[in-house]
Parts: sequence; C-alpha cells; structure tokens
Amino acid sequence: MKRGLVLFDPAEIPAGEWRGRVAAVQRELAASGTDVALIYGDVSRSDDIAYLTNLCVYWNEGILAVPAHGDPVFLTKLSPRVHPWMRLTSTVTEIRSGRSFAELVATFLGPADGGTVGLIEAELWPAAVSAEIRQALAGRAVRPLGALVRALRQVPSAAEIALLTRAAAALADTAADAAAPELSASERVAVAERGLRGDGFLDVLADAARTGDGVASVQITAQYRYLWLHASRVAAAAVTAAWPDPLRQALADAVAAAAPGATAADLDRAARPALDRLPAGATSDVRWVHHADMATNGEYADYPSERPIPAGSVVVVGIDVRFGDGTHAAVADTVLAAADGPVCLTGQRGTGGAGGQIR
Amino acid sequence: MTINPNDAGADEAERSLRLGRVRAAMTAAGLDALLAFAPAWRRENVRYFTDARVAGAASFVLLTATGAEDVRAFSTNQADLDAIISRGWVTDAHPLSARSASSLTQALLQARPARLGIAHYELLPDLLMGQLVEALPRTEIVSATGLMDDVRLVKSDWEIARMRRAASVVEAGWAAFVDVLKPGLPEHAIVAAVEAAIKGRGAEDNFMLIASGGDDVRGMTAPTPRVLQPGDMVRTELTPQLDGYWLQICRSAVVGPASDAQRRSFDLFNEAVEAGIAAVHPGVTAHEVARAQNDVFRARGLGQYCTSQYTRVRGHGHGLHIDETPIIEGNETELPENAVFIIHPNTYTPIAGYHVLGDPVRVTRDGAEVLISTERKLFEGAAR
Repeated sequence: MKRGLVLFDPAEIPAGEWRGRVAAVQRELAASGTDVALIYGDVSRSDDIAYLTNLCVYWNEGILAVPAHGDPVFLTKLSPRVHPWMRLTSTVTEIRSGRSFAELVATFLGPADGGTVGLIEAELWPAAVSAEIRQALAGRAVRPLGALVRALRQVPSAAEIALLTRAAAALADTAADAAAPELSASERVAVAERGLRGDGFLDVLADAARTGDGVASVQITAQYRYLWLHASRVAAAAVTAAWPDPLRQALADAVAAAAPGATAADLDRAARPALDRLPAGATSDVRWVHHADMATNGEYADYPSERPIPAGSVVVVGIDVRFGDGTHAAVADTVLAAADGPVCLTGQRGTGGAGGQIR
Repeated sequence: MTINPNDAGADEAERSLRLGRVRAAMTAAGLDALLAFAPAWRRENVRYFTDARVAGAASFVLLTATGAEDVRAFSTNQADLDAIISRGWVTDAHPLSARSASSLTQALLQARPARLGIAHYELLPDLLMGQLVEALPRTEIVSATGLMDDVRLVKSDWEIARMRRAASVVEAGWAAFVDVLKPGLPEHAIVAAVEAAIKGRGAEDNFMLIASGGDDVRGMTAPTPRVLQPGDMVRTELTPQLDGYWLQICRSAVVGPASDAQRRSFDLFNEAVEAGIAAVHPGVTAHEVARAQNDVFRARGLGQYCTSQYTRVRGHGHGLHIDETPIIEGNETELPENAVFIIHPNTYTPIAGYHVLGDPVRVTRDGAEVLISTERKLFEGAAR
C-alpha cells in the first residue's frame, strides 16, 4: 500500500517537463476537438494522474480534469484537510473535494455549453462512475479518449531514466539481501520493506515462494516516486538443487535479448536453451511487461506475443517456472531497452540502498 | 469459545456459516446469483469466500442462491488461483483475461440468473461490466456491496480468533514505532522500521498514516521527509493485516519528555476514548458511540473540533476491510455482539495539535472488549 515517502522535488523533474506533459495532453485535446479530459485513478492505479502532477492518490479515488487550456484540477472524495499536503507534493494548485464525482465534475465544468468531455482510458473507469458522470453531463458530448497519457509514459524522459536508474540500484541491493539463504518468507519480505521504504520508495509489494525441493524465491515490485520497478530472485542456495543456475542463466539470456523491437517470442527463444535444463515436467513462461503497466502487473493491458518492446522504454523481463508438484519460482529484472542494446537496471548491486533516501 | 483457525473442522464450519449467511441475505434481496468482485484495493469479499490471499488486478467469486454448493473463483493472476485452490474453500478456480472474460461469462451463462448482485458493483471497470451485460442481456444486475457489508459486520468466533492474532502484530508494530523515534529521523524511516517489524511477523499489508511536529499539525498523511525534532509529537494510525484481518491502533508519542499541553491533550482524548468504550453494548448505534466521544469535547467548549473541518470519523469498523462502518453521528447502524471497530476521537485541538488515540474493540454481551493490550498513554521516545 502507498504508505512510503511522497516527495515532490523540482530538482528531480524540472518544472518545464511537468508543464510539457500537460501541454502534450492539451495538444491531443485540441487535435481531437475535446474541451476537457478526465482521468480516473484509485489507490491501486493512478499513474496517469501522477505522471501529469506527481499527485499521490494514497487512498480512495480521484479524477484529474485537464482542460484544453489552463491548469489541471484534481477532484477527489478525500477530505479538504489533505489539500495542503497534496499541493505541497504535486504541481496541482486547485483541488476540490466532494462526495460525488458527478457533482464535482458538473460543478467544475459549469453550466452545459455543448462542449466535449473525454474520458481517458474509459474502459478502465468503474462503469458506475462513468455512467453517473455521463448522466450529470447531459447536454455535453462525453466520449472515450483512449490511453493517451499512458502512451506518453511509454518512453521515459532523461529525468525519469535517472530516477529509475538510482531506484534500480537500491532495488538490486535489497533484492540481493532478501534472497540471502536461511531467511523465512516473512523475513524476506521484512528485508524488502526495511530497505526500500528506508530508501524512500512509495510502495513495496513483496512476496516469497518456496519450491517443493526447498528453494526459495522472492518477488519485489516497488514504486519510487510514481515509477515502477521489479526484481525477482531465486534465493542463494540453502539446499542443493540443479535448476536455479540454469534459471538465472535463462533470465540473463532473456534480458540480453530485450532490445527495442524484441517480442516475448524472441525473449523465450533466447532463454529456451537454459530453460531446457530445468527438471522434467517444469513449464516456464517468459514475458515482458512495460513498467508503465506494473501497477496492475500488466493484467489490464494487452500483450499479444507479437508486440515489440518500444525503443527507449523500461520493461520488466521475467520468467515464471511452475514445477510438476504445483510449486513455482520466478526470476525477473527491470531493463532499459536502449537504442544500442538492453541495459539491465536491476542486474547488479548498485550504489543505492545505503539506508537513507537515495538522492 | 477458543477457536483454532487452522483446524480443518473449524474451517469447514466457518465456510458453511459464511455461505449460509450470504445465501440467506441473497434470498432476502431476491438475488439468484452473487458475484463478488475484487479490484486491487477492495478484496475483502473475495477473501470472505476464499480465505485466500489474492494479489491480482481483478478477481471474482460466483455463487448461486440455491441448488448446487458450487462456489467458483476467477482471477487475472495465476498466483491467486494457486492460493485459492490450495486453501480449498471454493469448488474450482479459473484464469481470467480482463479483455476476454469468457471463463467468467460462461459460468454466468450456466447459472442463468434473473437477478445478479455484484459486490463492488460500483468499482467494476467498464471493460468487465460490458462483457457481463453482453453475456446476460436479460439479467437484472444490481449492487450487492451493502449486502456483503452487512454480512461481514458480525464476526464469528473463528474471525475473532484471527483478529486476536492480528492484535499481537499491531502491538509489535507500535513497539517498533516507539523504539525507533529519535531526533533527526525522517518520517519515512519510521515507516520502514514499522513495516519491517510487522512484515517479519507475517503481516500481509498495512495501512498507516503519520504526522510529526508541534501544535500546528492538523492531520495525518503519508510520510514526508520531515525529520523529527525534540519535543515533536508523532502521531500514527497503524493498521496491519494478518491472515486477511485488519486491526488498527491509534497512538501518539513524544520525542523526549512530553509537555504539559501534550499531557492535557492526552487526558482529553483518553477520556473521549473511555467514553466511547463505556457506551458500547449490543445494539448500540454508531451514532451513539460517536456522540459519547464528541460530548467530551463539547463539555469543554471544543465541539467545533469534532466537525468535518477538523476530523473525519470517531472510529470505523474492522475486519476483512480496513474501513467498514463509520462511527459518526448520524449513522444509525446498529453494532451487534461481535461487531469489531476502533474507537478513535482523533482530531485537531489548539491544546497540542492533532492528537491520535484509539483502541479496537469487540462488542460483547456485557459491553466492550479492547482487543489490544498496548497501554493507552502518551508514549515518550528517545530525546537524543
């Protein structure tokens, strides 16, 4: 849950870049003849809102209204008592609270003027919220706008790459610590929490598993500012098993293949020689998920096998293995698909994770 | 009654009890089938039916009001299916694609409900709702969120046993909170220490807000980089989740010796907590519990600080969700025996700023049972 550090630091992402993101949305609105875009978010999935404003929807739900001209306004069911904190930690200056999104949106837009309102990623809005807003905005055209903010998030900026890189270094350190031998599952999760929350991560979703032959693995999805990373590790050997090394090799081979344009099939092909050395009866799934989809682990996104990794994007490359006894293990890294080849951001212990906020 | 939550016989009895409760409520509501939907931030109803920890973006449980005992689960996350099947509370579990939810729609077509209730209908994405409506064009689809809230309000002995176990994690979390306090420590480092302490004891999740500073503090938020100063009061509501059940503690601690004002503030809030506890009896309303606390402030001319300008609620229900029935004036929900909620008069006053104090209680035949043993006092942390 989002209970880690919420920080708005203009030194990390310059004011001009924040303005440029909103301007990019506003250009799309102008091109499509839309007066206002509405972006829905809840505590589990609000990265579009954070990308445009750095707002953290730490609980409940909210809607960011982006007019074709002017500054975004945040509409929320949270109490006005948190407005000062939200202003302090975001680019937003106007926040309105209320019990009903329909009333908040209708009041924000004012009397009907026949304008057009666009719902960003309308298919992921709660149908009930979408319906109440459509009803409240009778007299206006309300139409879906597609995933235009998510599209903007596909290729991180230089500032975002810098944040991702230093966060990845901390995650690499913590993942290595959490994969130490002889820890219990809950101790592995505790190591992840202590390390990453201490390093200023906003959210940490850690879990540990154990195979039938006693090999542990730890999976850590973590959010630094509004950016997501992931690393999964098979624990250092506390028992003798032949398959962890081939699995680690398979991940290394898949990561090395994660160049711009590569597909999941390409990653699988690269990893297959090593995966063929897994025990009989084991099945494996080699996949990549864009970091912009990690809030939902890619479960709401569309990942056809022929989808190529976008150039310049940051993705999670992972391999899940299911053994004949029903137990499983996972390995994964966060990778920058740079033009001159993949860079494994979480591949090695880095310089982060010194116990303080990584800055 | 002492219940061992890991006892297979007790498990089966609990499962049957739940299905019986839900089906009785479905009959009363005229529902032929119920679909519990779990988005990533509201998983309590799927947990109620599966007793499994799910982590996917979308999961469901489907059951019919009569006939077959089949209870079917669906999830976008393979690990969820493993957990659900391993727990064994449902008949079967199926993978689900959010963009092509045919496994779910096929099951609904088999059930052919004339009236389908969806728990968390209000949160179901258009993408999934559209597929359900298309599959069931002649079915009336209504919200069953309130139905499930009502079913979960009264905890069974099995559930109370789990909440007692959660209490030990709550207490350890607060102990870690006090232990780590010292001048120079940033707020987010406190959270890191608490998270490590409770996760190391098996907590699945935690909801936590925090605030540090002087009498200018007006409320709590997620942690900031602010570093603690001597004399700061550090406030938190800390809510670990263990085996599905959330339990909250509200406390404030001072970095170093407390001031007279901070002590007077504690005395006021403690009196309000005690008034809330004293008001509890089977059938008490949320309104009455809230009024008892607010009257303590009103008696001192501080009634304005019980309004929404300064605070939210005087407590709230607990269970498989963090924030169940709100304890506020005007909420006439009756709290029967074995309802569990926290009593917390948290608010701002000019005495020492926002103050946080509260205990989770169970409604008993004779009054209230406080579920944690952490002392209710103004804690004092290290001064240096």
